[in-house]
Amino acid sequence: MLKTLQIAWREYKATVKTKGFIIGLLMAPVLMSGGFIAIIITEKKIDVTDRRIALLDHTAQIAPAILEAAKARNENEIRDLVTGAKIKPAYEITLVEPAADARSQRLELSNRIRAKQLDGFVEIGSSIVHPSTNPAEAYVRYYCENVLFDEVRNWLGWPINNQLRTLRIAHAGIDQEKVGDLFHWAGVESMSLATVDAQTGQIKDAQRPNEAQAVAAPMIMVMLMFMMIMMGAVPLLQSVMEEKNQRIAEVIIASVRPFDFMMGKVLGGLAVALTAASVYIFGGAAAITRMGLAEFIPYHILPWFFAYMLIAIVMFGSNFAAVGSACSDAKDAQTLTLPAMLPVMIPMFILGPVLKSPSGPFATTLSLIPPFTPTLMLMRQSSVMAIPAWQPWAGLAGMVAFALLSVWAGGRIFRIAILTQGKTPRFITLIRWVLRG
Amino acid sequence: MHCVEMQDVTKTFGKTVAVDALSLAVPQAGIYGFIGPNGSGKTTALRMIMNIFYPDRGSIRVFGERLGGAANDRIGYLPEERGLYKRMKVREILRFYGRLKNGRNVNARVDEWLERFELTGWASKKVSALSKGMSQKVQFIATVVSQPDLVILDEPFSGLDPVNTDAMRCAVLDLRTAGATIIFSTHDMQVAERMCDFIFMIFKGRKVLDGTLETIQSSYGSDTIRISTDDGADALDNLPGIVGVRDYGQSQELRMAPDCDPQRILAQIISRTRVRHFEIARPSLHDIFVRIAGPEAKEAADA
Repeated sequence: MLKTLQIAWREYKATVKTKGFIIGLLMAPVLMSGGFIAIIITEKKIDVTDRRIALLDHTAQIAPAILEAAKARNENEIRDLVTGAKIKPAYEITLVEPAADARSQRLELSNRIRAKQLDGFVEIGSSIVHPSTNPAEAYVRYYCENVLFDEVRNWLGWPINNQLRTLRIAHAGIDQEKVGDLFHWAGVESMSLATVDAQTGQIKDAQRPNEAQAVAAPMIMVMLMFMMIMMGAVPLLQSVMEEKNQRIAEVIIASVRPFDFMMGKVLGGLAVALTAASVYIFGGAAAITRMGLAEFIPYHILPWFFAYMLIAIVMFGSNFAAVGSACSDAKDAQTLTLPAMLPVMIPMFILGPVLKSPSGPFATTLSLIPPFTPTLMLMRQSSVMAIPAWQPWAGLAGMVAFALLSVWAGGRIFRIAILTQGKTPRFITLIRWVLRG
Repeated sequence: MHCVEMQDVTKTFGKTVAVDALSLAVPQAGIYGFIGPNGSGKTTALRMIMNIFYPDRGSIRVFGERLGGAANDRIGYLPEERGLYKRMKVREILRFYGRLKNGRNVNARVDEWLERFELTGWASKKVSALSKGMSQKVQFIATVVSQPDLVILDEPFSGLDPVNTDAMRCAVLDLRTAGATIIFSTHDMQVAERMCDFIFMIFKGRKVLDGTLETIQSSYGSDTIRISTDDGADALDNLPGIVGVRDYGQSQELRMAPDCDPQRILAQIISRTRVRHFEIARPSLHDIFVRIAGPEAKEAADA
């Protein structure tokens, strides 16, 4: 056991003292959350150049409402209330009288857009107030160069439809005051469940869960688990392959049993993952608490996280070490990395459906498959929906059993493969080594 | 009790017989030299003693016991291809290997060995910074730092310059003086002649020599003439009774046919040139090696 720990300690030091580990420790969360950060950064990089829009209203009834809405928007919405800084573009809307030749007028306005004199123009058809009278003229069209991403088009829908509704009600002879409730839109709020306060025994009203609880917490926990497996278990494949090819394994095997050698490597990987996880979790918890968001830290999940991580690294680590021992060169290692990674990767592809319905049969079944348990069960436990208490324990038991099987099978492959040089064994040979030793 | 006993050991790789019905007994506290041409089975035999390879047939006992695995703290092993972590520092890796063997006073002994091999200045450097010779010395220290009873060295002198060869030779002799048994393989016949108490030669997987240098040379008799003449090898062409001439430039080595009279050969050479040196000797280990594994022997074996 002492020799196993010595190998583990060497493995640990050899990993954590490298620049790669330190850089990876700092960069991994940045890369993982890079997408979100990029969105936040780019969201603030809005073009606030004023938009010049021509308005061609064939009804002559809607334009005033649009002009009024644009004026109100420009006065109230385009500046930060605190700093006064401009945060949105102003809409400068110019009314254009319809010409007799509509097609020529459209071309003339299009050319003004091409000449950068305008950013776009709106054309409102003459029958839009009562479409059934002449459906061909019941249109609202917005012309611009970048049709898909122009936000003006989205904004125009609100003042135009508001005015259309007002006109149609008035034409129908209905009093506006009486039908105000007719257009009240009822949204459906999502709520968590009512609970009982453990200390006071009083009923606590259900809370409106926020996005952090619903999505961020499970995603962060799963990403963290994935990162720990990537840092603690996956590198063992390359490391064992190098030790074999550089004949270091031959020297080590003269001092320790192959199984102890393999377990030393796995424990070293586990120590690396524990170090990284501690940095992320305790560092992250401290940062979140400082930001006043301590209530969102899922403390009740952390013991499960560490338990799953410990077993996952033993389970995957022994597999990766065994595969690494079977590799004869870097090319082999490259080829075998992908199939060896599949049990780690598959759960990452199905996070969406599991998060959407954490208690459904699909999520439940998959989360009880041992290689998927550390990510999927953790995600289900971190979600706002409660899952039956027995399921995490069943998942954990399955993982322990599977980890023992992996260590046993990995050890049998490792002890033969680590000293076998030359041709890379075929998959069937590996199976034979497991079965016959 | 012998330190290592191999009984009728055979090892095959696919269709190749690497070691064929090999038997040997290595006495304790001596130096046992494995010689043989490349691919003759030396490393395979050493690896089987280490229990890194399991024999297909036969039995191997080390310290009177069958080994259950390669791990044995009483054995130090230096493989042919060096196995050092390149990113570790010299002192760090030596302590690591010493502790893996449960060595005593590892820290002190590492420092002693580093000083002995003049590597103290490199102790804090990474292995990747070492020259080939230095790496070899570091690997040697890693093998012996735990004071094993049996030291197995696969080609320990290959690639070393004469100064480092001498340093390592002295170290090996000191280990023997301290009571260790040393088995090493080498291609350097002079090293084997000078250092080994027992010499074992393997050729095509089979044992062809086994004994002390004295007994091996005696078995070949005094059939060798070492000679130096004014005309060199040119004066030795077509001498009757001579079956082989080896030209070393300044001197030559002649191999006599059985029952040949060296006096008559000397007389013939004198009639051709002036003789500066004439010596009747037993064949050198090098000569014996070439007789067994040289092109002529191979041709005879193939025929």
